[in-house]
Amino acid sequence: MVSRSTLRIAWRNLGRNRKRTILALSAIAVGQLAFLSVAALMRGFGEQYLDSITGPMVGHIQIHAPRWRDDRSIDVTLRHVSATIAEVLQDPDVERASPRIYAPALAALEVEGFMSVVVGIDPAAESHPRGLVPGEHLSGQLGEHRVLVGAALAQKQTIEPGMEIAIVGQDVDGSIANDLFTVSGVIPSAIDIVHSQGIVMSLEDAQELFLMPDQAHEIVIHLSNPDRIGDVVARLSSLPLLRDAEVLPWQEILPQFVSILKLMEGYIFVVLFIVFLAAAAGIANTMLMSTFERTHEFGMLLSLGCGPGRLSRIIATEALLLGLAGVSIGTALGVGLVALTSGSGIDYAALGGSASSYEAAFAGITMSSHTFPKTYVSDVAVGVIAVLLTSLLSVTWPVLHIVRLEPMEAMRS
Amino acid sequence: MNNTLVDVKNVTKDYRAGKVIVHALRGLDLAIHEGDFMSIVGPSGSGKTTLLNLVGALDTATSGEVSVFGNDLSTMGRRRRADLRLKSLGFVFQAYNLIPVLTARENVEFVLELQGVGSERRDIAFSTLDDLGMGDLADRQPNELSGGQQQRVAVARAVASRPRLVLADEPTANLDSENAEALLQMMRHLRDEQAMTFVFSTHDPLVVSYASRVVTLRDGRVVSDELKDPTSDAHEAGN
Repeated sequence: MVSRSTLRIAWRNLGRNRKRTILALSAIAVGQLAFLSVAALMRGFGEQYLDSITGPMVGHIQIHAPRWRDDRSIDVTLRHVSATIAEVLQDPDVERASPRIYAPALAALEVEGFMSVVVGIDPAAESHPRGLVPGEHLSGQLGEHRVLVGAALAQKQTIEPGMEIAIVGQDVDGSIANDLFTVSGVIPSAIDIVHSQGIVMSLEDAQELFLMPDQAHEIVIHLSNPDRIGDVVARLSSLPLLRDAEVLPWQEILPQFVSILKLMEGYIFVVLFIVFLAAAAGIANTMLMSTFERTHEFGMLLSLGCGPGRLSRIIATEALLLGLAGVSIGTALGVGLVALTSGSGIDYAALGGSASSYEAAFAGITMSSHTFPKTYVSDVAVGVIAVLLTSLLSVTWPVLHIVRLEPMEAMRS
Repeated sequence: MNNTLVDVKNVTKDYRAGKVIVHALRGLDLAIHEGDFMSIVGPSGSGKTTLLNLVGALDTATSGEVSVFGNDLSTMGRRRRADLRLKSLGFVFQAYNLIPVLTARENVEFVLELQGVGSERRDIAFSTLDDLGMGDLADRQPNELSGGQQQRVAVARAVASRPRLVLADEPTANLDSENAEALLQMMRHLRDEQAMTFVFSTHDPLVVSYASRVVTLRDGRVVSDELKDPTSDAHEAGN
């Protein structure tokens, strides 16, 4: 327990050499500011990343027929899709279940054809904000032989709404599947395959085109609480209808993204370590200078009967107050900076001198160069704890100096 | 005969200064009695400060025995010696040695807090300062006080808990004669009223003139120990 007089002495001692105190405070504050800023950028980027992964493309859980993922063969399908979806939706943690069909096809506007991927979806199940066709205005443009075309594909092939497009592919029996569709709209998508090659049609149209009655290649599931993925996978795997299907969490479908997210987490702590190593040097230097300068004063206090323990507490309290003040300033600056930029976001492309932001695709996921920083309370807490521990560690040497002091020797110094 | 508070028997103290050994005290004997107002005088290097440091449990003797309130200091560890200093001894240093970041009252209060005095320490600190004429300046920090005022705060700090023995090393060295005399009168008043014992190491004839006993050291030994007749003391008469 620290007494009021210890606190008073420690606090006022910080004012004895204001320049030195301000320098140390600045070092700590800049350290916390740098840590929170980097962490906020990484968190924002990570959340965006995770949203892209678990959003429209992969969802939290996927169901496939076994071996479909090996070569995405059109004839490896899930059967009794309607009944399966109805049963999956019974699970209390399942928010949405969206069946999908993926089929490579040749498309043609007039004479020349081009490669595309037909994506068959249930418009009602995909119209939510994290679905493939977010919003009623998009999902309402599907069905009755109307299709949506990925924005990059539309731009490349000069496809516009109202055009007719012929699609030729192979159905599940190996026969030729072909039909004529009307382009009802163009959609940008975070999913690269949709954005650059996709022709999106209703599940019914796709089932009819490829002779897949009540069949699909994939069911994408979104949960109300992503923390329960493991439990839900276990429950769904035990359903009789899914006994022969594979039910996989997104982490098993895209393990490389799990590694990237872990790497980002690790990077945050590398920054934390470097920043606070510098802060520790600042605090240690301040406390060492301050302690050695006051050796005579400590000798006087020892001669009055003040114990080394009390003196050590004064020094430790000084360091803690210094750390607390510095980390408070740094936290205020860091949280303020993130608050200022979290609304508009930060565009790495603009920082690099580009006039417009860009999107890059990796493993089928499109990432924007525009990131929205986010402050996590846990990051603030980690920063504060790191500073306080650093402050305490940095007084180890001064405290060792104090406990060895003999009153007379100290007073002679 | 008064009680003996401190008994110094055949004490030597050697210091090593590089390759040279300095013999600061060479078989010194001295007894300090309750109620003494003692001046220890002698030329520089005679061992005055060394003797005060030994009696004050700030240092240990090379040989011989220093007994304070019946405790043989040579058998006491660091912690017990610190406890003795805290609870039974008061120190007044030549250079005041106040805590610069505390006010006059807080300086006095701090030592009382170390001694375990409860919430009443604030009132004790203030009344002690007031007794020494520092009541109006109790909330000033040392850098806002003159040398004489700082020394009075140092005396207040030393005597606030009414220790049995106060050791003062050249307490008037940085004071003008007016302040020095006022300080000595205050300390003698405390001796008379509070039954405290004062020991000064000094070069100052004014301090000697106030003393009831003058011990002269030379080359680390007591060469004279003179009891003065209080009735012949002009200062005493003046009180």
